[in-house]
Amino acid sequence: MNHHDGVFSLHGRHLLDRRGFLSSTATALGSIALTNLLGLDGLLAAQGPVIDPARPYAPRQPHFPAKAKNVIVIFCAGAVSQLETWDYKPELIQWDNKPLPGGPAVTFQGPAGNLARPQYEFRPRGQTGKMVSDLIPHLAELTDDIAFIHSLTSKSNTHGPAENFLSTGFVLDGFPSLGSWVSYALGSENQDLPAFVSILDPRGVPQNGSNNWGPGFLPAAFQGTTFSARDPVRHLAAPGISPEADRAARSLLQRMNSRHLEQHPGDSKLAARIASYELAARMQLSVPEISDLSTEPAHILKSYGADDTANPIKAGFARNCILARRLIEKGVRFVQLFNGAYASGGELNWDGHNKLKEQYDKHATILDQPAAALIRDLRQRGLLEDTLVVWCTEFGRMPFFQKGAQGRDHNPDGFTCWLTGAGVKRGVSHGVTDELGQRAVENIHPLYDLNATILHLLGLDHEKLTFEHNGVQRRLTNVEGHVIREVLV
Amino acid sequence: MISSALLACFAVALSPLSMASGATAEFVNLENKSEHWSFQPVSSPAPPKTANKRWARNEVDRFILARLEKEGLKPATEADRVTWLRRVSFDLIGLPPSPEQVESFVKDRQGNAHESVVDELLKSPRYGERWAQHWLDVVRYADTHGFEVNTERPNAWPYRDYIIRAFNNDTPYDRFIREQIVGDALGEDAATGFLITASVLLPGQIGADDVSKRLARQDSLDEIVVNIGQTFLGLSVGCARCHDHKFDPISARDYYSMQAFFAGVEYGDRELHTPEADAMRTEEKRLTKRMSEVEWDLSRLSPLAKSGVERPPVNARVNTDRFATVKAKRVRFTIRETNNLEPCLDELEVFGASGTNVALASAGTTSTSSSDTVVADNHELRFVNDGHYGNSRSWMSNEKGKGWVVLEFAQEQIIDRVVWGRDRTAQFIDRLAASYVIEVADAAGEWHLVADSSDRVKFVPGENKASLFSTAGLTADEAKEATRLVDEKKKLERSIKATTEGRLAFAGTFRLPDKIHLLNRGDPEQPKDEVVPAVLSVLGSTKLACDTGEQERRKALAGWIASIENPLTVRVMVNRIWQGHFGTGLVETPSDFGRNGARPSHPELLDWLASEFIRSGWSVKHMHRLIVLSATYRQSSSTGGSREHRVMKQASPLSPVQIDSDVRLLWRFPSRRLESEPIRDSMLAVSGKLNLKMGGRGFDLFNNRGGLSGFNPVESFSGDGLRRMIYAHKVRREREAVFGAFDCPDAGQSTARRRESTTPIQALNLFNSRFTIEQADAFASRVKVDAGEDIAKQIRRAYQLALSRNPSVAELTDVQPIVAAHGLPTLCRALFNSNEFLFVP
Repeated sequence: MNHHDGVFSLHGRHLLDRRGFLSSTATALGSIALTNLLGLDGLLAAQGPVIDPARPYAPRQPHFPAKAKNVIVIFCAGAVSQLETWDYKPELIQWDNKPLPGGPAVTFQGPAGNLARPQYEFRPRGQTGKMVSDLIPHLAELTDDIAFIHSLTSKSNTHGPAENFLSTGFVLDGFPSLGSWVSYALGSENQDLPAFVSILDPRGVPQNGSNNWGPGFLPAAFQGTTFSARDPVRHLAAPGISPEADRAARSLLQRMNSRHLEQHPGDSKLAARIASYELAARMQLSVPEISDLSTEPAHILKSYGADDTANPIKAGFARNCILARRLIEKGVRFVQLFNGAYASGGELNWDGHNKLKEQYDKHATILDQPAAALIRDLRQRGLLEDTLVVWCTEFGRMPFFQKGAQGRDHNPDGFTCWLTGAGVKRGVSHGVTDELGQRAVENIHPLYDLNATILHLLGLDHEKLTFEHNGVQRRLTNVEGHVIREVLV
Repeated sequence: MISSALLACFAVALSPLSMASGATAEFVNLENKSEHWSFQPVSSPAPPKTANKRWARNEVDRFILARLEKEGLKPATEADRVTWLRRVSFDLIGLPPSPEQVESFVKDRQGNAHESVVDELLKSPRYGERWAQHWLDVVRYADTHGFEVNTERPNAWPYRDYIIRAFNNDTPYDRFIREQIVGDALGEDAATGFLITASVLLPGQIGADDVSKRLARQDSLDEIVVNIGQTFLGLSVGCARCHDHKFDPISARDYYSMQAFFAGVEYGDRELHTPEADAMRTEEKRLTKRMSEVEWDLSRLSPLAKSGVERPPVNARVNTDRFATVKAKRVRFTIRETNNLEPCLDELEVFGASGTNVALASAGTTSTSSSDTVVADNHELRFVNDGHYGNSRSWMSNEKGKGWVVLEFAQEQIIDRVVWGRDRTAQFIDRLAASYVIEVADAAGEWHLVADSSDRVKFVPGENKASLFSTAGLTADEAKEATRLVDEKKKLERSIKATTEGRLAFAGTFRLPDKIHLLNRGDPEQPKDEVVPAVLSVLGSTKLACDTGEQERRKALAGWIASIENPLTVRVMVNRIWQGHFGTGLVETPSDFGRNGARPSHPELLDWLASEFIRSGWSVKHMHRLIVLSATYRQSSSTGGSREHRVMKQASPLSPVQIDSDVRLLWRFPSRRLESEPIRDSMLAVSGKLNLKMGGRGFDLFNNRGGLSGFNPVESFSGDGLRRMIYAHKVRREREAVFGAFDCPDAGQSTARRRESTTPIQALNLFNSRFTIEQADAFASRVKVDAGEDIAKQIRRAYQLALSRNPSVAELTDVQPIVAAHGLPTLCRALFNSNEFLFVP
């Protein structure tokens, strides 16, 4: 494989040299021409990040010095109940099994039942004494490092639009995801791996599928690449082709393209395609290497729960957590780590409408130890200095059960997500829901604010990170968004 | 150093930057919003005079040349004939020319050789397949509903076929607009698919509370207004949903007045009333009748339950339980175990001696169940005996692995068979009743067992490949008869399925319009005054009474849009056509002609084209002819050539690249990479595998649709899978696994212009996918058939097919040993990946 790198690099270098010359001598006019030369056709090209088509993942400067270089988003699909996890509501115990006076008759899925106490015991944790439930004992040990935001709101109470809203800032389909925006803005520190990786849960795809890692109208280069510890990147190797024939085809292609470029000197698109094959060749080596967990020592596998043969789903998620750490170690910019799959009556994700406790017992076992181990491991290796970890879910759940059921309906009016790691204040809880945990009442933050805060930690101004689409300068935060400064160092 | 005119050009191009960055207060004052250029009437400028009198071939060229001369630029030399032929083929039909077409064109030295080629291409049905895609990008067409469930929209494709047909027929563009807005009044029912191409939440996905319902309705109306605004008018009308438009003279009132035109439109299927559709309905009736006869005969030959003969295992499609004749008032089907999840039955049928299904609700039979999982329009108890098959008309219990259904007949019946299935359309194999019991009760009410699964071969998921019929226990004659019936049944199933296609179109249903209110900040919970249907106030005064009928509303709007008086409609379309040929429109923002969009690079040319479009009777093909036969279009794409050669004013120290790097002034032809669809289609054309079947339901790019395992890509294609990619069943959001990475839109939002990005994932896909490897093999086989065993001949043929040229001596020398050592497919794989193959030259 090294053989190819050498040959392909020649043209990559040629292109880069020429570009270097152009950009260093650029006048105002020259720089407009340059961005166009680079194939960026948004009108704001001159203002937005300049993407070198030959190196789409090249690291790019943030708007201002960043606190965090990389991000891991732990995305719990299906809407985790804030009331069974992080948002302690002792009032609910007294109100257990009583109707909520003046409460809604009908919520998302149907008639509302009586109020229901938290299904798990809460107890104080760590130095701060933060009340966290017994559902997630491992994560609960980390509360001294976490900044909780208890007062988030969503614009939709339906999983699809709400996951869109969390991931893209719009309830509609087709807008760029957070990871796409970030990799578009910042590229990546590692040129041998995709800048944005989405690791799917062993149980399947999340509710809203690829919308959560889609590039929307951003260039396709910024789509999240999906793989996991179990499922490799597609098309890493050609089926049924011998290594010799593969090498021959590759070097022949290289010569074809070189000859063609000679006849079309100065065509950056052609040069970029040549460079893309070089990048691809490097990925073919680096992706299998990063997904190969056999080099991880036994104590690491054990600490994540990746050795849990009794619970293969947990072990699978744990392996994904290890993969996430390995990607971050290698400088991948944005890792999205899914916990929970598709709508399944709450069987395969956090959508606890009917049998909340029974199902959450299972789901929490899968999430808790591996995710806590990931954060500890990052910290131990010093990676948490540069890495932001976000735990999120699309909305919360109602303080009452659904009529005739042992579970809670969708609630977009007050729910919890949290941050830890680079640039994040430790051991704080921001925002408050009402005494029953139904609505955010203090420091209310639509999810726009969470996204604005994530961008801010990465050194990006959410109002400046824009892309022209059909006449609108689109942003991750639409025309909203305020950085939640209270949770920042 | 740089001419002032050019600076002005860039200043104009830059103005939206300052607009969008927030420093806009002054700019807004500079121009009254309604004085914006695109709102002004279309002028009919005379083509300008040029210094060079020989270059221009038509009026288009005079506008282009005049501008080049003004900037001190010279047009590039003419591209060679083969280059032009490849270019125009890719542009008009999305496929490369065959070696024979190349040869005949190169030999044709008649003056009208180019014209003949263009006429041929425009006559080809492949033309509509190419240009419809551009349109479908803009309207974000897909074959699924989007959002989290992203279920199939099975009758969307008649709209896709309508678009292809309309381009092929050169339907006048004003009529094309009317048909898409109010085709129900014009005998083009499928065309109104346009109105509802967007993602939509299905009833089961919308909250049960009224707030959720009102919001969902607003969202779905918004999509219609957005589509109308950006597609036909090039205006981001949707921006005024929450507040008056920041840049354009569109108020929130304008926005809601626009909504009022569609206040009676619902997302849904509509019966088509074409002669074909009516004929198919009749045919379906006939076939269905025959089908029930066959099934009846067949079920009489299935082994009796509890007779000691081992019966075939259950299967997800259809199972018969035959038993001794018995009197029944009620039948109970109890599921005790499933292969997974809650059980699902798509239909429960009960037959007696007469051979008619007495279980049908239409025959007065009622149903009750243990519990239901209700997903509106998918799973409801009433679907268990509604006579419709398939997952989307089925019952599902709300308990894992169990549940029961009781059918109660209007009168006591004599019955001898129960026929049931999970999904007779064979899409789903989960939720299957692996263990079950069938009991009947007569009028007296005593239940007794008639059949169960205990005498069936044990169901092992994934192992016993369901043989749908067993001849065990039959005599030789019976077995022969049974085999014949099974064959006939299979044929009938196919024929019936064929008759149901194309009778419905996802083209909207129309009802009494709702009242539409201006909404404060776009919030359905904050309604203000009621509005009536009215066009954008800056552009017209059409306003309808609040009691105007539904269709009248859409007619009025269509009339206003498709009018020569509307300055946006015609400009927007000619710009889209121009963009299809040069990669960039004269206005760089094809769906935004508002003040936030770009200004035209050649405003006079844009208006001349607009006037010419109207003069031609809104003929899109006329515009293609004008453009592709122009000298502008015939230029070489080379950036090379000495500066003196290309820049006329010796004083200018700048090269054309420095003056106009993105070739907006068209001093050469701007080459570009092919989009996803033409890459795939061209690979198939070159490999000889392209299936030219037109129309109908799309072929699948994915093995399964969503759900737990997501969308698993099909990797190896055959038959219908080798049709042109526009005929793929387009799953919203799921990009095709190989070609999707080439900036193929996901139909979430409108794509007025495709990005052209370059990524390593593209390289991995195109170099390593099974599709490429298989097509490289097919290409090699084809070449061997054409060229025989001689390697040099093979290489020549491969180059001719893929690149429309012969290899040079150097290339031949290079390639020969590779083919000798590794085989011809190695060359074919490299050719498919080569820049020369992938670029419009």
